[in-house]
Amino acid sequence: MEMTILFIVSFFLAVIETAIPYLIKRTVVFGVTIPDENTRDQRLLSFKKQYSIIVSCFSLVVLLAFWVWGVQANPVDAQLFLVGIALPFAIMFVSLASYVYFHARTSQLKRGEKWGEDSRQVKISDLSVRSQDEMLPWYMYLFPMLVTLGVIVYTVLQYPSLPDQIPTHWGPNGQPDAFTTKSPASAISTLLILLVMQGMFLMINETTKRSGIKLSATRTTASRIRQLTLRKYTSWFMFITSILITMLFSFLQLSTIHEGMFGEGLMLIVPFVFLLVVLGGTVVFAVKVGRAGEEIGSESVAGLADFDEDQYWKGGLFYFNKNDPSIFVEKRFGVGMTLNFANPKGYLLVLGPIVVILVVSFVI
Amino acid sequence: MIIHIEPQADTPIYTQLTKQIIEGIARGYMRPGDSLPSVRALAGDLGVNMHTVNKSYHELEKRGIIRIIPKSGAVIQAPVVVTQDSPHYEHITDELKSAIAEALVLGIQTEQVEELVTSIIQDLHAESKKK
Repeated sequence: MEMTILFIVSFFLAVIETAIPYLIKRTVVFGVTIPDENTRDQRLLSFKKQYSIIVSCFSLVVLLAFWVWGVQANPVDAQLFLVGIALPFAIMFVSLASYVYFHARTSQLKRGEKWGEDSRQVKISDLSVRSQDEMLPWYMYLFPMLVTLGVIVYTVLQYPSLPDQIPTHWGPNGQPDAFTTKSPASAISTLLILLVMQGMFLMINETTKRSGIKLSATRTTASRIRQLTLRKYTSWFMFITSILITMLFSFLQLSTIHEGMFGEGLMLIVPFVFLLVVLGGTVVFAVKVGRAGEEIGSESVAGLADFDEDQYWKGGLFYFNKNDPSIFVEKRFGVGMTLNFANPKGYLLVLGPIVVILVVSFVI
Repeated sequence: MIIHIEPQADTPIYTQLTKQIIEGIARGYMRPGDSLPSVRALAGDLGVNMHTVNKSYHELEKRGIIRIIPKSGAVIQAPVVVTQDSPHYEHITDELKSAIAEALVLGIQTEQVEELVTSIIQDLHAESKKK
């Protein structure tokens, strides 16, 4: 079972990493801004293909090797975990290395061909675009939090009948493998951590809502569709994830309060199903957002080009723009949002919940 | 309504913004009572400094074209009857004087100037007439 989970996680990762060149907006290739009329250049298409082939072949080989080794050599749990954790990192490393290589090749090509050098660079905004925004209102994220409060109240009522050793961690076989002594704080520590995560999702939704909706001057309709789709799906995906983790944590809390209420089979299946649903959800998200707006043909106007933002994207991956008040921006190589590293509020948003969770875990 | 900014042009960005908004209202893309996005929202959408957008909004408010609502954005003001002693009238006179003086210096004839004024007004009103 452990092996299956590790395998599945790496498998999903490999699928998404392989597909990335075909899910990003077409005007940014391997982190380099390319004018719309040059995006179908054969050399760029071949870069994308080569990248996908490298990542998929490597992933296939290591996944197969992992499976064979796991089944044949029947390794000890500790060994299995070590290798199983190294697996996704190896896949990520190879895709990152390939990205860096093709980023350099693409930059070189753009410079050599002098793409976009004689066009007027323009930024645009549609004053009415925010009225078309379909992100969820903030109070939707309160519903899972109310459920958590309900479970906390229930725990408090059931406190006398709780076991003396409260589980704090569950292993891949579904059984608890780490405990802490019962106290009012430790009885609800899992739920407190859940509350922090739910709060984090709410904050991310609101922060994303306030971040800029970036339209392209040369692909206005397509970029509008893509930005609005990204925002809407980000909002919904986070909401659904918040609900799913609420269900999972509530399930675990109930199993703590009523020892033996759920059979071993159920304890195994529930987290596993959770994992599959969330990972499957990320693939749906990646494909829906990745293909949004791609059906729109060329809208480019001669002599006009999008403002080249390459200067703000360090290595084509990290956005650093002091002048942009946005906290989140759309990723360049991937699907989703990334931080504007020049805005300190972003660091707070990401590190804050982690700090709180660490405090809760160690103090309680 | 779409706003175009050329970050590398000689004209400062806030001036480009101001002109675009004024022209948008003149063409009827925006009506009195319509709202402009908040400074933060527009700055984030364009990827420019909030001070730049703020400067543009304040400029427009000074000229009597919009009214800023703190934290919310701004509202387009309804045009009022402008008399010759109004400061707005004086401002427009100055602007026209510069443009016309330059036209005359370049050798453009009086009739051409008047024709130009008429055709510009026609062009600005063209889209709102269609509605």
